[in-house]
Amino acid sequence: MIYFDNAATSFPKPECVISATTRALRENSANPGRSGHKLSVDTAEKIYSARQAVANFFSCSDAENVIFTQNCTHSLNAVIKGFLKKGDHVLTSNLEHNAVMRPLYSLAEKGLITFDTFEASLLSDELTVENFKSKINSKTRLCVCTNASNVTGQVLPVREIGRFCKQQGIAFCIDAAQTAGRGKINIKEDNADFVCIAPHKSLFAPMGIGVLIALAPLDNVLIEGGTGGNSASKFVPEFYPERLESGTVNVPAILGLEAGLKFLKKLNPQKLYENEMSVLKRIYLGLYNNENIELYTPFPKMGKFMPVLPFNFRGVHSEKTSAALNSFGIATRAGLHCAPSAHSVLNTLETGAVRVSVGAFNTPRQADYLVSVINSEKFMKKLQDFH
Amino acid sequence: MVITGTVTYAVKGRDLLRSQGYKASIERVTAGERIGCGYGILTFGDIEKIREVLERGRVKILEIRKA
Repeated sequence: MIYFDNAATSFPKPECVISATTRALRENSANPGRSGHKLSVDTAEKIYSARQAVANFFSCSDAENVIFTQNCTHSLNAVIKGFLKKGDHVLTSNLEHNAVMRPLYSLAEKGLITFDTFEASLLSDELTVENFKSKINSKTRLCVCTNASNVTGQVLPVREIGRFCKQQGIAFCIDAAQTAGRGKINIKEDNADFVCIAPHKSLFAPMGIGVLIALAPLDNVLIEGGTGGNSASKFVPEFYPERLESGTVNVPAILGLEAGLKFLKKLNPQKLYENEMSVLKRIYLGLYNNENIELYTPFPKMGKFMPVLPFNFRGVHSEKTSAALNSFGIATRAGLHCAPSAHSVLNTLETGAVRVSVGAFNTPRQADYLVSVINSEKFMKKLQDFH
Repeated sequence: MVITGTVTYAVKGRDLLRSQGYKASIERVTAGERIGCGYGILTFGDIEKIREVLERGRVKILEIRKA
């Protein structure tokens, strides 16, 4: 199997992540922050070390602002539902994932908030920022913006949007699901109050762990319960991370995440990104002259795109193309990728799109194989069989 | 004993104190009816200086108990 579905989750996981995760199950299966015995305290220290590693990686000065959640969707829900109050207005881009859109629709449906979307321009970042500015009103209290689309790979100018949010006193939340570990996220320089991360993607962590870096307070919490301290209080603590970490945390995945970060730093995130983009460019150029193929994005430039490429065979549903690729041992993802907003922009709501997403372990040779399969008559015949 | 309530601040505080040359270790504590159970840092030295180190490091202190 050649795996080109890294935007869903990275695969394979590095051996060091597998080792750290299994070692945690063997050696650190005591509950951290709950008991006073050596194993519990030892596990708590390891969790704190992972917190510090995440904080350092994203230039966050205090480890306690790193909160471990179930996944990036959980992090985004914690921010959206925890921060907003009745009457607030929210701004978000037109490329957002359902992890952002569904909570917003849900709160709006209940009459609690209103929201607007701004267009992320493919032509210029300045235009994107202008589009954002034009939608602000006196009730705008939060902007939630993806750092890069999970459908098109387009990178949005979050630093500039964040700067303007700060000037206007609007809280800013970055959905970094597709960029954490590749993009240069710096919570302070990006002027972000919240950064939501999917560590099982480009940070190589196991699934079942999310990260929220929170610098601003959240009045409401999604989950309340035991936090291992201040137990006499009727309420969860006011301070992070325990405020948002009721219940037992996922120790094996958190220690796997720390190992993933070490692996990433050793390989150098910028070099990995350059390698992934060079594989993606090879695929793009290989498909560009195939008249049967529709590409939706311009040539992917460094810094402007993440290594994600949506395409379709003209007149063929994306699920059929992806299934045909699967029969050639190539893993891609079809459909709407939980982001109908982005597909609305591409005008692919009916067919979806086949998404090729490149990861750390993909090679130019694999790119050439993918291109040779897609451009072959054998593949065309297979597609017709699927019809 | 510096009562921090949560283990996160206990680890952070212990590391900060150790980096300043203090002997410090984490203890599970019962902090009374007001706070309940939680964690603390067992350390030795001038209380005000210890408080200053921890507050500078933004460690939440719930209570300081003298031995």
